[in-house]
Amino acid sequence: MTGVTMIAPPSLDGKRLAFVLAEDRLGHYAEFRDFFVRAFDLDRIGLARPGFLRVASGGSYALVFIGRSGEAFPSGVEIHAIVPALEPLDEAVVDRDLWAILHWIIDGVGGAWTVEALQETGRLFRIPLAMEEPGRSEL
Amino acid sequence: MQTVTLPDGIHQQWPFAPRFARVNGWRMHYVDEGAGDPVVLLHGNPTWGFLYRDFVAPLTQAGHRVIIPDMIGFGLSEKPTREHYHSLDGHIANLAALLRGLNLDRITLVSHDWGGPTGLGFALGNPGGMRALVLMSTWSWPLPPAEFHTRIFPWRMMHAPLVGPYLLGRHNALAGRGVYLSVVDRARFAERAMAAYESVLSDPATRLLTWVWPRWIPLDDTARALDRFAWLERELRACTLPALLVWGREDDVFNPAIFATRFKHLLPQAEGPHLVTGRHFLQEDSGPEIAAHIVDFLRRVP
Repeated sequence: MTGVTMIAPPSLDGKRLAFVLAEDRLGHYAEFRDFFVRAFDLDRIGLARPGFLRVASGGSYALVFIGRSGEAFPSGVEIHAIVPALEPLDEAVVDRDLWAILHWIIDGVGGAWTVEALQETGRLFRIPLAMEEPGRSEL
Repeated sequence: MQTVTLPDGIHQQWPFAPRFARVNGWRMHYVDEGAGDPVVLLHGNPTWGFLYRDFVAPLTQAGHRVIIPDMIGFGLSEKPTREHYHSLDGHIANLAALLRGLNLDRITLVSHDWGGPTGLGFALGNPGGMRALVLMSTWSWPLPPAEFHTRIFPWRMMHAPLVGPYLLGRHNALAGRGVYLSVVDRARFAERAMAAYESVLSDPATRLLTWVWPRWIPLDDTARALDRFAWLERELRACTLPALLVWGREDDVFNPAIFATRFKHLLPQAEGPHLVTGRHFLQEDSGPEIAAHIVDFLRRVP
């Protein structure tokens, strides 16, 4: 369980979209783009609205999909934290939320892409949140 | 303008005067030391000229002019913030802009990692200006990829969509830890050099190329640069330049038994491979020894 759920578009009154992560080449491995198309029904919805996620911390995120001439849609995606308009981000919370969202993505992509491989890669590179998870990497 | 502050301990190891050239609209940093026939030393991902710090003195003392550029996107060069800036052809053109601007002739190119395809892209397209080639832990053909590059853990996961921007962007995983894992003497590297690679990629937006270059390595026949790599292989096969191969014995990215052997097949006139202590970043473990091999090799090259 990743603690990440898809939600309906939330009210943005008094909020701002704070840019936190971007991917210019979502289809580098086609199964990643396919996952987002399936999960957010993008063949039907297209650019009409972002996708929205809520994570276990209670934070909400907007996924803004990007189109690029000559490439399958979506070509990219931006992840924005939905936060009180005039308040600073809690970077530690955002980092934890993004790590959870990555687990959700990899779980959804599936096949050869496993959450265990993501965690092991995170541990190999000493990503702090990955080090909190049980694992094998001793390098 | 992006600025980079090197830590004190790094400055002492890299005392060379910074120089800058405009290449294709971007600001490229390079050093230019000594006098004589030029030796151009090319780094790859995610390093910069610092990788060759132990090469400058022996090469200049042997009568060579040493030029070490930082690829656009790395080191002290300007760092574009959009993935679409970067392409293999574009980086070859950047190198061409620098070397033509310096009006060089009788060039010896020393290439490592992505310095291989980019450097050879220039050398094989401009053979008249070349003197010799030195190749280390690299490749320049379309397929098959290194077995290491086909694995999801850790290679493909590391640069996967959104995972790359998180691990390598937000957490700078490749410039420090990634290089650390690919040297033999990790304690020495951590003490003397790791900060040099981490400090020049100080913010997430400056780290883009660390996950973009891995995406340019052909894994199958749909790869973007397949035609360029096929051209590189064809031209290499016809290349008669003197060449030297140097590889790390412990290289677990570009296994010498496969990659040095294939270069030897393409360039049968090549000397070597000389095997030295080293994983992929062999310059970190055996810099002076490799420099001595190059000096000795060039002493015998017309």
